[in-house]
Amino acid sequence: MTADSGRQATMLAIPRHGLQKLIQALRDDGFETFGPLVRDGAVATGPIENVDQFPLGWLSEQDGGSYRLVEAGHPRFFDVTPGADGWKRYLFPPRQALFDLTAQDGSWRAEVPQTEATKRALIGVRPCELAAIQMQDRIFLRPPYADPFYRARRENLLLVVVNCLHPGDTCFCASVGTGPQAQAGYDLCLTELDESFLVEVGSPKGAALASAIGAEPASDAAQRAAEDGLAYARSHMGRHLDTKDLPQRMLANLEHPHWDEVAGRCLGCGSCALVCPTCFCWDAEETLVVGEGQQGRVRVWDTCFNPNHSYHAGGGTRQTVRSRYRQWLTHKLGSWVQQFGALGCVGCGRCITWCPAGIDLTLDTKALQLESDQ
Amino acid sequence: MTTADIVQDTQPTAWMAPHPVRIEAIEHETENVATYRLAFVDPEIGRAYRFQPGQFNMLYVPGVGEAAISISSDPEDHDGVDHTIRFVGNVTGAIRKMAVGDVLGLRGPFGHPWPLDAYSGSDVVIAAGGIGLPPLRPVIHQLILHRENFGRIVVLYGARSPDELLFTEAFEDWRAHGIEVEVTVDRAEASWHGQVGVVPMLFYRLRLDPANTVVFSCGPEIMMRFVVFEALARKVPADRIFLSMERNMRCGQGACGHCQIGPYFVCQDGPVLSYARLEPFFSVEDF
Amino acid sequence: MNVSKTELIKELQAIPWFQELSSHHFDTLVDMARLVEVEMGEELYREGDRQDNMYIVLAGRIASDINVPGRGRRRIHTSEPMDVVGWSGITPVLRQRTASAIAIMPSRLAAFDAKALRAACEADHDLGYVVMRRLANVVAARLMVTRLQLVDMFSHPAEGSTP
Repeated sequence: MTADSGRQATMLAIPRHGLQKLIQALRDDGFETFGPLVRDGAVATGPIENVDQFPLGWLSEQDGGSYRLVEAGHPRFFDVTPGADGWKRYLFPPRQALFDLTAQDGSWRAEVPQTEATKRALIGVRPCELAAIQMQDRIFLRPPYADPFYRARRENLLLVVVNCLHPGDTCFCASVGTGPQAQAGYDLCLTELDESFLVEVGSPKGAALASAIGAEPASDAAQRAAEDGLAYARSHMGRHLDTKDLPQRMLANLEHPHWDEVAGRCLGCGSCALVCPTCFCWDAEETLVVGEGQQGRVRVWDTCFNPNHSYHAGGGTRQTVRSRYRQWLTHKLGSWVQQFGALGCVGCGRCITWCPAGIDLTLDTKALQLESDQ
Repeated sequence: MTTADIVQDTQPTAWMAPHPVRIEAIEHETENVATYRLAFVDPEIGRAYRFQPGQFNMLYVPGVGEAAISISSDPEDHDGVDHTIRFVGNVTGAIRKMAVGDVLGLRGPFGHPWPLDAYSGSDVVIAAGGIGLPPLRPVIHQLILHRENFGRIVVLYGARSPDELLFTEAFEDWRAHGIEVEVTVDRAEASWHGQVGVVPMLFYRLRLDPANTVVFSCGPEIMMRFVVFEALARKVPADRIFLSMERNMRCGQGACGHCQIGPYFVCQDGPVLSYARLEPFFSVEDF
Repeated sequence: MNVSKTELIKELQAIPWFQELSSHHFDTLVDMARLVEVEMGEELYREGDRQDNMYIVLAGRIASDINVPGRGRRRIHTSEPMDVVGWSGITPVLRQRTASAIAIMPSRLAAFDAKALRAACEADHDLGYVVMRRLANVVAARLMVTRLQLVDMFSHPAEGSTP
């Protein structure tokens, strides 16, 4: 009936109370369920058993260096945009044991921990966050050294994505093509309407789940409402990033005076990297329990703002905050494309909101242009 | 040849877990440098282990950490793997305290090797400084083994002072195999009758056929920069100049992000990288 | 000393820079040059001398040494075949030698009378330009070497910190 008949085949719907059924169906199937919730004055992610735990009625006001949750009282679970906490730690834990050493015949053996078999379902993943997971898949699973810990968690992960109808003040997913609507890569994708959720199936697991919760074909009215909502969202992004020639602009301007200007504001705290859902740097540390003979190595999150992040035999490199900020941004918006085939930025805006100095990369990148365009 | 191909050929170790290796021999090269011959405690792994010139291993001292060390032995020598180590930090300092028979951990081999195969028939200029010679020694072994496949082979080597020169006892053997060896030091006393100057100056004096020359260089980054300047001034194409870059490695596998130079993971796209690829980033200060 | 002059001409003709000179300039330079053979250990000049030759090494090796009181003789440079030794001899302002030049291998050099060379450059500015241009390259290369020696390329800043 509409031009988009290909999608119509998979456009289902459930009534609002179907969401609890979805959670239950997942838990009955052995999944630990997680979703957004309000914690410590912000939206975070955590275990969810009941829809009551979702941030119903909340909105966030976000700007450079500023975040405030407001109890707006609207009837939606998912209108509030994410806070600093995302989903990265479910696939890439902040601390991961790599091996433990056990003594053996005058030598030792490295015992690698068993990989996880825990089934986890993430409910309420934003399209930008889905894009970040897909980007982390490219990073952690690329041959020839695919990460077995990541792979095990990823294979046991089920994703229920929720499209965004109410973008935040620092959001710019539309600029980088990661939202406000998810295209593929989810098991289920929901669009929250007043009376119902539209349900799109993205995988066999998703299809089984949709069937288990009694999802039925969506009405035309519902579909139109969703399309209108998404069109509104697309044109009401809080920020816009000019992505034209972005990688080239980054890498052609490594000595641009603008870096000095930003350096005057940047504290080098690394908050941007820590809240970024695609950042992947890590460090390895020894663990030693004196007296118990336990010795091993763990992997911990790290960022390029760490002054010891890079060095060589001649001494440290990136000795200034300027150079480290430049590294972070030219990697994210420049080198990343050559490494992983797409921008490292998914447009979630967290780095803007959670920067104590309010540095906004959508503004700062404007100064970096190609010579021919200036 | 992709990194994946090279890894398939060279028997990588398990993801992030080291294999125990025993110190078979220690050769004290200079006051601050020694070569450790390591053999896998598990002989089966030892038999399967192969590396290509330019690759490195992550050597592990339990309780202290890991260090990336280039392999400095002959790839055809399967009795052990040599690592020439300069003692400059916690891990290398801990290795310095170890004795023959002690056990270390090893992960590897990692990295993109020197592209010898692609340059059959070429003249090869090796420009090495200080501890930059060990990563090139496996290349020299291969060049000797396949001497007839290459034209003129020149080794330019420099160190800070005469007592910091490495592998001096090998130079005669190299010369006997038709390799020109020019040595210089930064500073010396009057008892030294060799050259005093810097490696880029050795390059400056060379007569070369630039279109048919490939340059392999390893040493302090500033030395390599000036070698590159000389090579470019002599019209050696940038894609025929190869540098072994060094950044701190944590994983050796292109995962942890520490060793990046622009888009290149030194542990995977390098450590050997052509100047053509490095050029946009090489001289950017503090990058 | 005709035999020696013929040899000298032959040696100089093998040097690329001399090949580029006009035959008039070449002859002018040959007239103020002579072949010198030195044994190992022989000094060309001593630090503090006003000895007045500029040399081009044809074979062997010449060291430049500076005597640092308290530390002794430091070898700061060596010159190989085709290198110039004692270039300061033809700079306009006369100075004492800043280093000693000593043969550390049996060596063969072309020695140019610096006073005559300075005069010839004054009389013929075309020759002067060509000579000084060449000298500029020599000094630039020497400066590059000196600067790299100065920055101590092989030092390691932190013995005992990060691995």
